[in-house]
Amino acid sequence: MCGGRLAAALTISRTPAPMWSYFVKRLGLSAVIVLCALLTLFLLLHLIPGDPARIALGPRATPEVIARYAEKMRLGEPILTQFWIYVTNALTGDLGADVFSNRPVLTIVLEVLPNTLVLAIVALAWAALIGIPLGCLSAVRPNSWFDRVTGLLSVATIAIPSFLVSIWSLLVFAVMLKWLPVIGAGDPGDYLDQAVHLILPAFAVGLGWVGYLARMVRASMLEVMSENYIRAARAFGLRERTVVFRYALKVAVLPTITLVGIGFSGLLSGAVFAEIVFTRPGAGKLIYDMVVNRNFPVVQGAVLIITALYVLITLAADLLVAWLDPRVRDSL
Amino acid sequence: MMDAPRPDHQLGDNLVEIRDLSVTFETGRGPVRALRNVNLDVPRGRILGIVGESGSGKSTVIWAMLRLLAENGAVTGGRIDFNGRDLLQLDADALRAFRGAQAGVVFQDPMTSQIPVKSYLQQFLDIAYRQKASRAEKIAHAIAMMRRVGIPDPEQRIAQFPHQFSGGMRQRTGIAMALLMHPDLVIADEPTTALDVTMEAQVIHLLRELQREFQTTMMIVSHNLGLVAELCDEIVVMYAGEVVERGDIQSVFANPSHPYTRALIDCDPARVLERTRILPTIPGELPNLRHPPRACVFVDRCPHAFARCREEKPRLNKADEGHVAACHLLDGVRPVMHAAAPAPAQDEVVPAIAGDVAPLVAVRNLAVSFQVRGPVAALLNPGLKTSIDILVDVSLDLKPGETLGLVGESGSGKTTLGRAMLGLVKAQAGSVTFKGRELIGLGEGELRPLRQNMAMMFQDPIGSLSPRQTVKSLILEPFDVHRPASGNRDALAVRLADMVNLPRDLLARYPHQLSGGQARRVGVARALALEPDLIIADEPTAGLDVSVQGDVLNLMRRLQTEHGLTYLIISHNLPVVRHISDRLAIMYLGRIIEMGDATAIFARPAHPYTRALVDGIPRPDPTQRRRLVSIEGEVPSIARRPQGCEFNARCPHATDLCRAEMPAQQTLGDGRMVRCHYPLID
Repeated sequence: MCGGRLAAALTISRTPAPMWSYFVKRLGLSAVIVLCALLTLFLLLHLIPGDPARIALGPRATPEVIARYAEKMRLGEPILTQFWIYVTNALTGDLGADVFSNRPVLTIVLEVLPNTLVLAIVALAWAALIGIPLGCLSAVRPNSWFDRVTGLLSVATIAIPSFLVSIWSLLVFAVMLKWLPVIGAGDPGDYLDQAVHLILPAFAVGLGWVGYLARMVRASMLEVMSENYIRAARAFGLRERTVVFRYALKVAVLPTITLVGIGFSGLLSGAVFAEIVFTRPGAGKLIYDMVVNRNFPVVQGAVLIITALYVLITLAADLLVAWLDPRVRDSL
Repeated sequence: MMDAPRPDHQLGDNLVEIRDLSVTFETGRGPVRALRNVNLDVPRGRILGIVGESGSGKSTVIWAMLRLLAENGAVTGGRIDFNGRDLLQLDADALRAFRGAQAGVVFQDPMTSQIPVKSYLQQFLDIAYRQKASRAEKIAHAIAMMRRVGIPDPEQRIAQFPHQFSGGMRQRTGIAMALLMHPDLVIADEPTTALDVTMEAQVIHLLRELQREFQTTMMIVSHNLGLVAELCDEIVVMYAGEVVERGDIQSVFANPSHPYTRALIDCDPARVLERTRILPTIPGELPNLRHPPRACVFVDRCPHAFARCREEKPRLNKADEGHVAACHLLDGVRPVMHAAAPAPAQDEVVPAIAGDVAPLVAVRNLAVSFQVRGPVAALLNPGLKTSIDILVDVSLDLKPGETLGLVGESGSGKTTLGRAMLGLVKAQAGSVTFKGRELIGLGEGELRPLRQNMAMMFQDPIGSLSPRQTVKSLILEPFDVHRPASGNRDALAVRLADMVNLPRDLLARYPHQLSGGQARRVGVARALALEPDLIIADEPTAGLDVSVQGDVLNLMRRLQTEHGLTYLIISHNLPVVRHISDRLAIMYLGRIIEMGDATAIFARPAHPYTRALVDGIPRPDPTQRRRLVSIEGEVPSIARRPQGCEFNARCPHATDLCRAEMPAQQTLGDGRMVRCHYPLID
């Protein structure tokens, strides 16, 4: 080979398909989804029969408070103007104020959101670290005793509701054995204390996901392992490790990534049981409390932020899939 | 050509020697003895072809060699010596060193055998992991290999992924992968089956060149006698898990000595050059390999069978200089094969079709395009085309009682044309009239009664049948749709089954329990149920063994004379359609580029593309090997149609005029339509 050709060979980029073009298109779709969410949340208040201000502020609001709210939200203006105000406010971070304390909704939500995020990340991370290898090994030796035991345990962890796991783990490890703290999220400045407080809720929330991921990965691994290109990889004499982990798993993990992305987003509000049982401040518990108190602006704001996060996370999952699978990039 | 053995080739110098190889697959209904005492040799530096129909065990031989049999399969006896070492005894490390490095494999379908999520560069590097070279050297070597197999701009294209390559390019790259480590042996499993005719010719040529250049030994597994005759030095014919004949390719084709080999060669439609109405077939079915026959495996289908054939298994007897066959006829009495060979093909009296009869179907200037991008994408990229043209200005007539063969490679629009004629695809412009009635623009409700007169036979015989319905309810479905109260259902089903020679006891079965040929018959019965005037058959013989495809075509032919049917037969397989068609229409990129009498087109093609298709068919005759590939290049993408004549880049006769201007349709002296500036005949 001559030198020039060799140099050309070495400057080849890893991904020739236009990743950025996929990113731009996918980002555009995300923006549309967020806008739809804004519209839905806005219309919710106006579609319920009655005075929007009274609905937003609840039955205990005094006429003065209602009048002040109506003025602030410019409820007298045409509905399109109101929507425009709502959208511009939301995009500049003004999500309204708590009915009772008058604190900004954004502040209230951002206070508790990190707790939920950390819980969801830790719960899914340990579930993925255990569930994906379990599923993978099960698929490599289907119907072995390992596969059967994993299958049995997987179904068990999926079947047990997470609030039951929360209560039982609380009783056993915190109340009876006194190994771990009972409630709360830990001292705000003390990371070790926070970590210790995280163990039980993360265990309770993640347990079901271990089984779920193991079953998912096993099913898609089994399918991929019977593909022609796996037989071809073996026929080319690749190491079994390479065939299983770098060929089969790379394809089999794709549907799992999407699933984890959606599951993670769901956990933002779905961790509510664990947050209630462990009296842990978090987005799920916040929404629950505010719904009970009919504190509409906080609910509206919290739902909007969680929706935005949901969109962001599924976007990240899709981008990861597109990075791993060039066919996806070319299809949008 | 390499017909004579090379001087350094010595007798007994075999790279591979397979002795008494037996393989069994465990299934739910008992063990299937797929291979029984197979013996074969692969001489060093030569190309061996293993030929057989489905169920012959030809692929099982190579998977057993590579020790990659399916989970339920196991070698139950014998040995496979490679360079004097038994492959069946290798430990995991030695086996890995054998695979890929000492033996490279070319797979049947590069679409499914190349991992979609890795670039070719990564795939090459993965294969070369054991090479003692720097990464840069490995990349340079892989690029050189891609260039050698004919990939343009390999420096750029090696970074791409399989889905970004065309089918032909993918298979070329697959060949580069197999040769990357300079193996002693290259194993190719149906290397051209997934390719179009013109690509097949190119790949055969490439394999032959590479074999000479790299001095490798090759094993080619194929059902295609033409491919084997064109490429191989030696041939092994397998039937039902046994070797029935093997030897020098010239000798076996000149003097096929096993009745099965003889019948297989007779059945190959590419061999019968004259247009005939009845194709030879092999009656009967494969023996049940759960209980393989103790005597001759072919006895139940053999026209020469005598008492000894049912009692004793024949040995491989010498048939000729350099070839042996497992037949008792060679052991003592010399066979007189020609006397009772399969029914000789003969021309039937074809009912003349008067020239001025009103056409049953008339297609005029039909255009179909598919939307490929949504309105949002169109808005964002104003320059982008949102649709691609599948059919452009297609006109043809179908006269009552005639058969028109519609031929083209993948992407030519032939299937879309068939569907558009039935109103299954929306046309953007043009007209389709059926018995004088315009179909374009009719609603579903108006089309429905007309569909009783027009039936479709779908491409995938098993996939197009609902897996949850019995054969009986499948063949009665047309009645349920169009004539719900049509009398005795049992009698109807039996009548239809008899009509297509479908055994009555199959009526209670489900599609997955049928053989390919039986599923085809169900498709024919469904098409025929309402006694239509027109049947559009999409690839009626695709996926069928040669011994069965004649069967299906003969049946279709018989039904045509009995019921006065008009056929439109859509196929990429020119040899098959020419035997059944009165006229041919050749399509390229959504246009008909030549149309006329089938015999005339076959004898003297007018369009260079038609000539390439006709020349592209590998003939099952090793004495008539082609030295040159008839056309280079691949079918361009319909999304980026070339300027001028759309065939110009591949045409050996192209001039500046061809590159600038699309040729108009013209009619030649013999009434043939052609779309070419310089037709090959007047």
